[in-house]
Amino acid sequence: MSLVSFVKIKNNSLKTAILEALSLIDYEFRKDVKKIVIKPNMCYYWDYSTGQTTDPKFTGALIEVLRDNFSPDVSISIVESDASAMKCKYAFKFLGYEKLAQNYNVNLVNLSEDKCDDVEVTVGEQLFRLMVPWTIRDADLRISIPKIKYTFEQIKLTCALKNIFGCNPYPKKFKYHSRIEEVIVALNKVMKFNLCLVDGNIVSGAKPRRIGLVMSSRDPVATDVAAAKIAGINPNSIRYLSLAAREGVGNTKFIHRGIPLDYFKAIYPRKDFQKIMMGKAYGLILKMGLSSRLGLS
Amino acid sequence: MKKVGLGIIGLGYIGKLHLRHVLKMPSVDFVAASDLSEKALNEAKNSGITNTFTNYEDLLRESEIDAVIVALPTHLHLQCAVQAAEAGKHIFLEKPIARNPEEAREIVAIAQRNSVKLMMGYHLRFNHSFRELKTRMERGELGEVEVAYATFVSSGPFFHRGGHTPVRVPEWWFNKELTGGGALIDVGSHVINLLRWYFGEVIDIKACFGHRFNLDFEDSAICFSKFESGTSAVITAGYFSQGFKLEVEFFGTVDHAFAQHRPGNRLIAAAQMLTTGRSNFYQAHFDELKYFVNCLTNDLSPSPSGQDGLKDIEAISLAYKNELHFDER
Repeated sequence: MSLVSFVKIKNNSLKTAILEALSLIDYEFRKDVKKIVIKPNMCYYWDYSTGQTTDPKFTGALIEVLRDNFSPDVSISIVESDASAMKCKYAFKFLGYEKLAQNYNVNLVNLSEDKCDDVEVTVGEQLFRLMVPWTIRDADLRISIPKIKYTFEQIKLTCALKNIFGCNPYPKKFKYHSRIEEVIVALNKVMKFNLCLVDGNIVSGAKPRRIGLVMSSRDPVATDVAAAKIAGINPNSIRYLSLAAREGVGNTKFIHRGIPLDYFKAIYPRKDFQKIMMGKAYGLILKMGLSSRLGLS
Repeated sequence: MKKVGLGIIGLGYIGKLHLRHVLKMPSVDFVAASDLSEKALNEAKNSGITNTFTNYEDLLRESEIDAVIVALPTHLHLQCAVQAAEAGKHIFLEKPIARNPEEAREIVAIAQRNSVKLMMGYHLRFNHSFRELKTRMERGELGEVEVAYATFVSSGPFFHRGGHTPVRVPEWWFNKELTGGGALIDVGSHVINLLRWYFGEVIDIKACFGHRFNLDFEDSAICFSKFESGTSAVITAGYFSQGFKLEVEFFGTVDHAFAQHRPGNRLIAAAQMLTTGRSNFYQAHFDELKYFVNCLTNDLSPSPSGQDGLKDIEAISLAYKNELHFDER
């Protein structure tokens, strides 16, 4: 079983909370680490205060922890890729990562412009041809810093595993949506992240809420199972979690360390049912071909 | 009754809205549309438009078109307005008139030289709530308005605009050279135009700007302004929020008053769109076009005019020039 730690941020000290979360999973800072990749969650151009994207202050605190404990000279790259409705170059600027990169002297890498290896990977019976960016391939340590978010019904939850969907350099990502569960698992198989640190300071639901959570684990599946429980979703109802476990990406069972999970579950904001209903209505409108009459096309 | 032919140039968000509205107008007997996007033109065809063009110059050659609705990105306004005026077409031009006063003056001049009508798309002047406030003011119910607050804060072009799927933001929105500025010129122009309608010309204006999103232009602006009427106004414009607020509040020597434009209930709006093709939220957009068509059929000078658009961009330009800086120690 994997270790998952749960820490409450105190006195706004993200750095202390990150260190505590890592300490609780017995994380050791190996001295041979020279290149680190950090993958925050950048979703469209949503400000971190919405709970939809990783706070650059959290990323900054993590960079300080890494420099303090590995080496001040360790090379750090923050990665993201272009998406159907998001251009990386604007997201970096918009969400504060360009400023962060200047302040902390780290690299910003648009994976859609990176050199890539073409790789084949199977998930169950299905074969996928995917691209692995060299920045990720060549890193000694890969850290995912996702958000916990409710998402569309098919996959229900976005956290550590889904965050790696953003490492896929192909920009028109909607083409994967029909097989998204398998693709998430396939991407996590070809790009293994060694560490997950969840920025759960502000989380989203019907309204964003500051719950002050930092979660840490080496296992993205265990991280997501814990995240699902906090968000009040039965992890067994999320198919890609069991699929990922079957494919050897991680374990669905974990050993809990730190603040009780129920503490965060109790304060986690519930789903926005109005939004869900509007989403369903929108889907229905599209199906019925009424979008142009409603001005939604 | 005399009928008119209209051409819609640009089928983005606002162009599509205008298209839906003109199709509901009995005084309009010919409608054409142009856009670079085949997808947008196909949608127009599906709504019954047979005359579609990928090049607006071809649309301008259509003899049945009396006027054009220009709903293009701001940097294309001058070029399009010049060509439309020279083709003898009356112009309904979406706000802001242009990127700067120099371009705006050219637009106004070319319309005058070619004797074509030029109306600016400022739908708030047709909004029931804001019109009622004007009536109350003119009746003297508020006394002299000493202080006014005007706020337009929304998500602007960078967040969800419809439905629940992120919408791709066209590249030009990120380029100050093409937009002429940020939130002040985009949404702020609406409230500056509105306040000029209430209080006369801007005598002076100073502003401080916010750059939360680290772009080359402001995503928020607070303007401190003085109007011909003697009214001092604080104007807040921004597109940093997923919330929507568009309102004015006036403090007069007799009374104070408030008016706002609210999105309203989405289900009701959807039902209205399905049954009548327009909703309460967009009623002011419909009414401004109806008024423009009325100006065409009855040979009237429309208001807000190109001159209004010019005065607005002059005030905005002055606000950019008179930037106030906070001590950030």
